[in-house]
Amino acid sequence: MKKTIVNLCVFVISTLVCFNVMSQTVGTSSLKGKIVNVYTFEPIIGATVQLVNLKLQTTSKLDGSYSFNKLKAGSYTMRFSSVGYTSRDTTITIQNNALVNFSLAENNFELTEVIVKGAENKETEISAKKIEQQASNQLNVISAKAIQLSTDITIANVLQRVSGISVERSGSGDARYAIIRGMDKRYNYTLINGIKIPSPDNKNRYVPMDIFPSDLVERIEVNKTLSPDMEGDAIGGSVNLVMKNAPDNLYINASASTGYNQTLLEKTYQSFPVNSVALQSPFEKNGPTYMALPTDFSRDHLNYTPKSFTPNAIANLSIGNRFFQNKLGVMLGGSYQNTYRAYDNIFSPSVYYDETNKPGSLQIKHANKRDYSTQLTRIGLNAKIDFRINEKNKINLYSFFALLDDVQNRMTMDTLQPPPRVGYGTGQVWFFGRSKYQTQKIYNTTFEGQHELMPHLNFKWIGAYSYASSNIPDLAEYEYDAGFFQDGTNPKPYQHPNKVVNYHRIWENNQDTDLSGYGQLAYSNNFLKSIPFTLTFGGMYRNKNRNNLYQDYELRTIPNADGSFQLWTDIYRFNWSVFNPTGSPANPNTYRAIENIGAGFGMLKFKLKNLETLAGMRMETTSQSFETDVPKTIAGKTGSISYVDFLPSVHFKYGLNTKTNLRLSYFNSINRPSYFEIVPTLRTGDEYDEIGNPKLLHAKADNLDFRFEFFPRPNEQILIGAFYKKITNPIEYGFSGDKVQFYQPQNFGNAVNYGVEVVLEKYIQNFGIRINYTYTNSSITTTKLKTFNNQLISPAPEQTRPLQGQSPHIANASLLYKNLKNGLDLQLAWQFTGERISLVSPYYEFDQWQQSLSLFDFSAEKKIGKHMGLFLKVQNLLNASDIFYINQKLSNSYPVSYQKQGDQKTLSSKSVYGQNYQIGLRYIL
Amino acid sequence: MKKNVLGLMAAMLVTLSIFSCQTDTVEKANISVALKVIGQSISDTILPKKDASGNAIPLKGTMLAGKTYHIMSDVTVNEGDTLYLQPGVKVLIHGDGLSPATSPTFFVNGMLVSNGSKAAPNWFTVFETAKVKKSNSSFKDDSVNDPAFAGYWGGFQCGPKAKLLLLRWTHIEYVGGPWGINAPDYLAKAGDPMFGIYMNSLDNPKGSLIVEDSWFYGSKDDCIGKCQNIYVSIMRNTFSKIGGTGGEGINLKNDCYGDLAYNLSFGVATNGLKTSGDVGKTCMVNIYNNTVVQNGFRQTKATRNGSINTETNAGGFIYNNIVVNSKAGLRISFASEKGKPSDTLNTSYGNNLTCIGRGKPMGGSEQFMVFIEANQFTIKQPTDLNGFVNGKIAANGTNPGTNNANDSLKYDPLFKNYNVAANSAGRLYRVYDIPVGADFHLNTGSPAIGAGVYAAGTGANAMPKKSNAPKLVEYGFPQNKVPIGGIFGATITPPNKDLGAFPTDNTGNQHTY
Repeated sequence: MKKTIVNLCVFVISTLVCFNVMSQTVGTSSLKGKIVNVYTFEPIIGATVQLVNLKLQTTSKLDGSYSFNKLKAGSYTMRFSSVGYTSRDTTITIQNNALVNFSLAENNFELTEVIVKGAENKETEISAKKIEQQASNQLNVISAKAIQLSTDITIANVLQRVSGISVERSGSGDARYAIIRGMDKRYNYTLINGIKIPSPDNKNRYVPMDIFPSDLVERIEVNKTLSPDMEGDAIGGSVNLVMKNAPDNLYINASASTGYNQTLLEKTYQSFPVNSVALQSPFEKNGPTYMALPTDFSRDHLNYTPKSFTPNAIANLSIGNRFFQNKLGVMLGGSYQNTYRAYDNIFSPSVYYDETNKPGSLQIKHANKRDYSTQLTRIGLNAKIDFRINEKNKINLYSFFALLDDVQNRMTMDTLQPPPRVGYGTGQVWFFGRSKYQTQKIYNTTFEGQHELMPHLNFKWIGAYSYASSNIPDLAEYEYDAGFFQDGTNPKPYQHPNKVVNYHRIWENNQDTDLSGYGQLAYSNNFLKSIPFTLTFGGMYRNKNRNNLYQDYELRTIPNADGSFQLWTDIYRFNWSVFNPTGSPANPNTYRAIENIGAGFGMLKFKLKNLETLAGMRMETTSQSFETDVPKTIAGKTGSISYVDFLPSVHFKYGLNTKTNLRLSYFNSINRPSYFEIVPTLRTGDEYDEIGNPKLLHAKADNLDFRFEFFPRPNEQILIGAFYKKITNPIEYGFSGDKVQFYQPQNFGNAVNYGVEVVLEKYIQNFGIRINYTYTNSSITTTKLKTFNNQLISPAPEQTRPLQGQSPHIANASLLYKNLKNGLDLQLAWQFTGERISLVSPYYEFDQWQQSLSLFDFSAEKKIGKHMGLFLKVQNLLNASDIFYINQKLSNSYPVSYQKQGDQKTLSSKSVYGQNYQIGLRYIL
Repeated sequence: MKKNVLGLMAAMLVTLSIFSCQTDTVEKANISVALKVIGQSISDTILPKKDASGNAIPLKGTMLAGKTYHIMSDVTVNEGDTLYLQPGVKVLIHGDGLSPATSPTFFVNGMLVSNGSKAAPNWFTVFETAKVKKSNSSFKDDSVNDPAFAGYWGGFQCGPKAKLLLLRWTHIEYVGGPWGINAPDYLAKAGDPMFGIYMNSLDNPKGSLIVEDSWFYGSKDDCIGKCQNIYVSIMRNTFSKIGGTGGEGINLKNDCYGDLAYNLSFGVATNGLKTSGDVGKTCMVNIYNNTVVQNGFRQTKATRNGSINTETNAGGFIYNNIVVNSKAGLRISFASEKGKPSDTLNTSYGNNLTCIGRGKPMGGSEQFMVFIEANQFTIKQPTDLNGFVNGKIAANGTNPGTNNANDSLKYDPLFKNYNVAANSAGRLYRVYDIPVGADFHLNTGSPAIGAGVYAAGTGANAMPKKSNAPKLVEYGFPQNKVPIGGIFGATITPPNKDLGAFPTDNTGNQHTY
């Protein structure tokens, strides 16, 4: 079956390419040339070139070139036309071969600031480059067009194509968090239409980027430097999702596609009924005094049935238009994605073993093979309405809603490596079945007004309401133990019966509500008539309310009537009692947090000859408070923390010429502790006892950036940049307490992070290449646990390592083929993420690394008629596997399952996600 | 003459009787000890009292002999304070174990001393109501319905500054109420069952836990659970009905130092006695002269032992114990699901007797017994009495030996009133209630008699020495880290020449059943 798909794919590609082969006529002469912008000499792509007498026509290519072949010698009338340009005719005479370069003038040449006029289609790559070129700070922009042609269906997938960005993946292999320039997710923030949005994460601030479908955005802006008008808590950078704006004319963009994951051709999808998952715990449903009964816990969602046909369905529709003499613009968008995947994973968590007269070593006790079936449903809705009251006053209303439903079944077989196992084929085996159903939502409404109060004086205000939530109801994983082993009386290993054991049912949900207001006054004029400047003052205030709830019930197995152990047959015959009928009444994971951020800034932007300077100061006040459900008799039930930061920044942009900029930026930024990191109560974590840290200081960073920019043509660019960051008091996790037993967020002195970025984009005729490469080097020193001869070394030794998630090398390369004449687009994309620390271990030199990952994606799109397009996308062409390891040799006495014998490294996790195929139709008006 | 003869005979008889009496008579002195009052006497019997705003007032002072106190909600003993119970105090806890609020708990941040005596023991038990039923001997193998595992109240939770928890001749019953209040301070999660006694000292010097001659009856999970960083002396106690579907009698974690001796551990869900350090942290506890019967059959999780177990850097002297009809005998762990290797260098063991009623698989989910779990560190010592055959020791130090099922019953310690064979029949091996009249003293001819190491012993009976083991040398056998003697100190019984908790010289466990 796998082969069939590959064959099918080859067939489709060749068919698409066949459209391209067309023949012309008669003579031997050729006519070639380039069409450029009369003022900027930038090539014009897609311009129509007609030989009027012959009724022949062609379109200019990515580099502006065109050609006609096999022409007879003679005189011809040529007509050059392109949208946005004034058409021109000319007459030429061809003897043998002729070269005719031609220039066209734009209808409306002047393009002002980043606030691009409505007339321009901002979804294009050219527009994206313009924004990058003209912005005051250092920006990378990805256009909707580029996304459309890629295989990426979520924003997180798109982000990994941006220079300097790598992604952290979720358990299901989907890109989830952006790591910008080696700075972990906690050092970055996410904006929608310029407004910071809350996170559905249960403890942290960072937003999972896979909740956003990629087809509702007009463009994605990645800011790697901060200007004073931007919120100051990003050390890596910020990601701004600019949703589609109202167009000038009727706009329709619709697509529908289906697809399949390769793994589902090889494995069975295990499904469970989501509607039987109780959305509320007995505690929530009946109040805190309620004693839960065994019958309060449903069984249906722990019963799995195979589902044989699981096609993906992806659709989107955006419609926009302008009404009342163009005063009212409306853009509505909707996106729906329903995708299935079944994949497997090897998971071998390792433990630290003391050694006699030696430092400790690494052993594996549990070797898990996990089979996943996941169904992801994404819904995105976008509405943008702008109303131009008059020339001087404009109001906008934006609304955005995103929902991600994650339905996941996980079947685990855990082979215990310690005795009685003595080698392959024996050992205790534990079987698990887990059902997880998570719904995450993000909602934002922004009301915005822009007013020209008087000549040169503009006022802008924003009121925004945002909401984010996550709900994981009734997370349940049953377990039964069995295996094939010898147990002392029987000299031979034998099959043990499946023995049911106790398990948990956990409800966890959280909600964030943000209310924010922004105001900004800008005065623009010329100083001494020749120095244009803008002076801006502004402020903002945001109130955040967060609510977390956690309930954990333990269900214990009841022995059979004759006192024997219960054996597993299915979930319906599992007889249990409720061990803690009141749930988790006073736990610190049930908490509420409030955060108020106030900010004010002043900045001056002026241009002296070719040097544009933006300088200013931002002040941010933070006040965080929390209240947990632990009783008053416990220290740290409530707490608050507040501080003020002054964040200066200066950005220089020096235009060497119209195509080349040099930029130099300095900015100061911060990173705040998360809502939960300052809560001092102890809680039992998965592996360690965790404790918050009310003494935690927020991190502060000095950031220095340099960039050389060259835009040879509007769609081409060469960017070479370098950055240096010095982070004071970065928040990292380490061990504390008298006996170094608590895992705690702490400040560990200073970290540095520097690197170089290169971006290259170049087009030759119908071919294009995009390359970016980032080198990053960071280092931080933290304390680690280490033992020698069974004793902890005290004080704990320090280890210097790169920041978590930072790869020294990140690269992207894509090869594009674009034939405007027959409307064929092909793209082969390669994404490389070098090895990096994925998990910082508490033990000295035991950090877990992620192996470098190379991913290839292919996509093709063919225009059919004027408005329709057929597309085909293949993700993860070579079925790369995601591998995690620890640079330590195993010290287990017996060969360990799934490990290569004698290897110097230890495999911690390996996932194979399979190729993903998608085929669909698009309609664009 | 006749008279003279009679007189002589009478004189002889008197003399004889005087002589014969001399061998039988030991002075039975009964001198009253000073009735100690510490701080103020506590005359109120409904406790704790509330202040004007309804908060419970911490308890300190002396609970008086002969009184019955009713505990209505959580009791706190403040740092620096002492709560002292004279002999003969009855404390009834009004709890139902259904929620943290209705499961009163003693939070000890200072000292709590329950000074019961053989004649006048103290009681900490539940206040029985129509809904809160006590257990009885009709519940033998019914962990679901037996009120013994209901966890009616929260036991003794000792804070980081607690100096001393001393329970002497005291009954502790029905512990294991759910955590909620204050859980995180005790490394627990809300909803978890409380251990009957938990102590984790962060003080220097460490706090002490002294439990002697006491009875533990009914505990939802571990009875003395996961204690850390303390000195211990737990001697001559009886543990029964411990752990519904899991849980240990005594479970000591890292940085505990002391002795566990002369305890009877009957029908405990997992191990009767367990010690475990942590990564880079030791646990040096001697385990000697304990009698462990019918342990380990209610733990449903695999890789758990079921009698005496050491793991993860734990060490100590382990001698003179008797294990009967339990899941497996002593385990010096190489590895279990959670456990890491014991500190074999600082472990010394021998002179332990293990007798199993039946060692053959019984089919289905029915359990059977082994002398020693193979592929762990445990080696049958020359002085040991059990049916294990050592294998060739592997490179990692583990012993792949085999259990000789035909040796079942071979090492019967001949308890005075407990038949090993009869009690292993059918499902009787699972019974967790001590049979009425059971007597674990040794009958004449028992292989356990004279098999132990003791101070005056020589040869196989000589006190063990391991001069290359620094921690064994440092801490000794028995240890004397806890305060010793008097009301506030431990009474340490040294190892006996007989095995088990009930040696023939009656110096061990004084309890009768």
